[in-house]
Amino acid sequence: MVKIYINDREIEVKEGTTVFHAALDAGIPIPHFCYHPAFAPEGTCRMCLVEVEGMPKLELACSLQIREGMKIFTQNERVREARRGVLEFLLAEHPLDCPICDQAGDCKLQDYYEEYGLFDSRFSEVKDKRGKKIRLGKYLLHDQERCVLCRRCVRFLREVTGTGEMGVFERGGHTKVDTYEEGQQVDNNYSGNLAQLCPVGAITDTDFRFQTRSWFLEAGESICPLCSRGCRITIQAHRGFARFKLPKRVYRIKAVDDPLVNGPWICDKGRYGYSYLDENRATRILKKGESSPDWQEAIDWLSASILRLKHRNRLERVSVVLSSRLSNEELFLAKKLFKDDLGVGRVFFADAPPEEGDDMLLTPDRVPNTRGARELGWEDVPVDMEALNRETDLLLMFGPDFENAHSLSDILGCFEQIETTVLLTPFDGSLSSQVDLLLPTTPVAEKAGSLTNIDGVLRNFQPALPALGHSRAEWSLLIDLGKALDLRFQYYSRLSSPEAVFQEMTGEIPFFEKNVE
Amino acid sequence: MEDKAISHFFKQDGAHTLAFYLNQNGYEQAKKALKELTPEDLLNQVKAANLRGRGGAGFPAGVKWGFVPQGGDKPKYLCVNADEGEPGTFKDRYIMTYAPHRLLEGIIISCFCVGINTAYIYIRGEYENVAQRLETAIDEARAQGFLGKNILDSGFDLEVYVHRGAGAYICGEETALLESLEGKRGNPRLKPPFPASIGLFQCPTVINNVETIANIPLILHHGPEWFCNQGLPKDGGTRLFGVSGPVKKPGVYELPVGASLKDLIFTHAGGMQDGKTLKAVIPGGMSAPILKPDEIDITLDGDSLMEAKSMLGSGAVIVIDEDASMLEVLRIVAEFYSHESCGQCTPCRVGNPWIRKTVKRMAEGKGRRGDIENIRRVANNILGKTLCPLGDAAALPILALTEKFKEELETSLSD
Repeated sequence: MVKIYINDREIEVKEGTTVFHAALDAGIPIPHFCYHPAFAPEGTCRMCLVEVEGMPKLELACSLQIREGMKIFTQNERVREARRGVLEFLLAEHPLDCPICDQAGDCKLQDYYEEYGLFDSRFSEVKDKRGKKIRLGKYLLHDQERCVLCRRCVRFLREVTGTGEMGVFERGGHTKVDTYEEGQQVDNNYSGNLAQLCPVGAITDTDFRFQTRSWFLEAGESICPLCSRGCRITIQAHRGFARFKLPKRVYRIKAVDDPLVNGPWICDKGRYGYSYLDENRATRILKKGESSPDWQEAIDWLSASILRLKHRNRLERVSVVLSSRLSNEELFLAKKLFKDDLGVGRVFFADAPPEEGDDMLLTPDRVPNTRGARELGWEDVPVDMEALNRETDLLLMFGPDFENAHSLSDILGCFEQIETTVLLTPFDGSLSSQVDLLLPTTPVAEKAGSLTNIDGVLRNFQPALPALGHSRAEWSLLIDLGKALDLRFQYYSRLSSPEAVFQEMTGEIPFFEKNVE
Repeated sequence: MEDKAISHFFKQDGAHTLAFYLNQNGYEQAKKALKELTPEDLLNQVKAANLRGRGGAGFPAGVKWGFVPQGGDKPKYLCVNADEGEPGTFKDRYIMTYAPHRLLEGIIISCFCVGINTAYIYIRGEYENVAQRLETAIDEARAQGFLGKNILDSGFDLEVYVHRGAGAYICGEETALLESLEGKRGNPRLKPPFPASIGLFQCPTVINNVETIANIPLILHHGPEWFCNQGLPKDGGTRLFGVSGPVKKPGVYELPVGASLKDLIFTHAGGMQDGKTLKAVIPGGMSAPILKPDEIDITLDGDSLMEAKSMLGSGAVIVIDEDASMLEVLRIVAEFYSHESCGQCTPCRVGNPWIRKTVKRMAEGKGRRGDIENIRRVANNILGKTLCPLGDAAALPILALTEKFKEELETSLSD
């Protein structure tokens, strides 16, 4: 450890760190544009200049290594004046079109101007014209007039994806970031990171263009469930206005840095594929096609159906179709309930079929918890349609993927042979009106729990959005069902939350014990 | 006449040939270095000579060489900076044109001293003929066994390559030069790390100006004490001053470090043409803050020019007479730096075009009250805040011009 002073405050920091990180750890964020922890310092924006005692010029916080006894000033008048100077330069040729810029509210240029600038424009020359509304990719628009030339986009495409679509062209005041060929598109599955990396409104998302203002959005952290990488994300949703109904809640998804899982990036599938959270959702309980708001009644009805089979010693004629979309806790509860307590005849898994992954984050799995299911001892047994046809009286299906794995006529053919069909799913599908009981459940974004990613990294998540309509999390339904069955009432009463279920799991399964987050 | 000056061969017929140079005892110092001296001896001599860099910054050459880590498994490189882009500067062209072998001999000795087996001469693209001459000289030297494998049976190998730049001023900045040499966009690098530890191709690298390297054989020939005594105690030797502008005899003059600027202009360069009056002098290339006639009674060395708030720079003395409009001088300066800014860092990229736009407007007769103050404010926001020295190189002359010729500049403003 090394002792330094920031703004006369004594601070102990790790050797080898930079002034920027030492200050950040001490709760003193230093303004910056070009610096990003994923890349080596470039030192070009000149926004992070600080004063260091004994050094004649202002120094770059992003690249300067701390030394024992160093005295750093991040807020004195000389530093503030330098930052004002840089801001004035960045704004001189800037179009100042904040009212129609999607970055407004998230823009570092705006934020720092509030903090350091607040000057009238002293630039009385004619501004240079640059490229506007350049289509940069399927999801991206490029505005060269708003660019501050931090080169984060160029570095990302060179160093992270290795695709190198963009470079720096011309020099001096004509310098611009552009694609190498006119009309060239940034065509990789990570292009959306450019919009998130851009500290200003130079690269923006097309799907977010003119949709809303960022200050109306509330962000909640969650885990992307669209593949088994389990990237940490933040979901930004609009609460709506009192007198104006919005067509949707979710307006965008951004990556959250998780060094062991996704680093600071996410793929475009995860970033732009958020419409499932608002569209085609199952939001009401449907019993024989009739809407019913009463959860207790629905659980009791299901419990009674199961118990009837139990009393007739026909539990082996209960089939359950599970889903790797379920959390660790839910898959654990399913094991307790269906295997240990009831000993049902068959448990299958129905998951979306694997697709091609890539060598960065996207895995072939299109469900988030295949690894968790394995660690919990579940085997990936595909649905045996013969067994459903001939040996099933009650079929309990989790998730939306079963109906896509088989033809609808085959499934409905089975249903004719089965006394009771129950579907628990967040999504409205062709089976919704065909089952005896439809229970609307929540996607990962609307519940709490944990997932185990492809590499065995365990991550907890909390609800980022409220549950839509009447939908409820599967873990709570499983607990309620356990209580209603009254086989081990005390046990299920004790498991009142995902945390409590997790506690139970760690005691039973060593994998989860050593992976407590 | 004994070879005691860099300019000894200038303008002599055939001076650039190996035969001529050998006839003048050429390559004797390289022989001595390789056969009789150790690298440590050489480094001590260069340090003792107090040879300061001739490119502009004036950093002691021996100290720079001493920064290169010895040992290690990476190759080391010498880059000879022949970009000579500072407006007004043309001295290195003379050396390379008339004494390419002196430069090569300096390169051999320097490389042997630092343990370098590959040297690059980065020459400005416009010097096509000069580059040709260097290539010929390299071929001659190699044929004679002064370059290549096992030079003069000493076991020392050295290859020298000439690389022509593509016309950017910034590539004279040492780290931008390295980037350019590596085939990249010529943008200066963030320092540290310094080139002595991580330079060309990530390897330890020495970068010296042509004139600096060309002095090395003289130091060996006559000894560091002789060299030191020619100049000043902490700044040895002579310097080549390139005088341009309306003087009677413009050209390159070799004078001891510490010679008089006034003598250079009025004695050596013959004074002003056509009986004109001196209006101003830019003493060290365009980046050097301008001096008024009452400020030129000054010695030509780094310290005294710094005291006068200017700099010796590349030793390019630009003389300006009474006919010149200072607004035009300001416009040329502003145009140049705006055009040559690499565009990498904010203050230089935006500040210089801002100044250029304002000065251009003033030159078109649309200047307004407050323009000069604003130019100075912008220049001050560039000064000391950029990644490389180009920011200061632009801000300093503009600040000096607008301070010293404020009244004249103001006459171009309307309300």
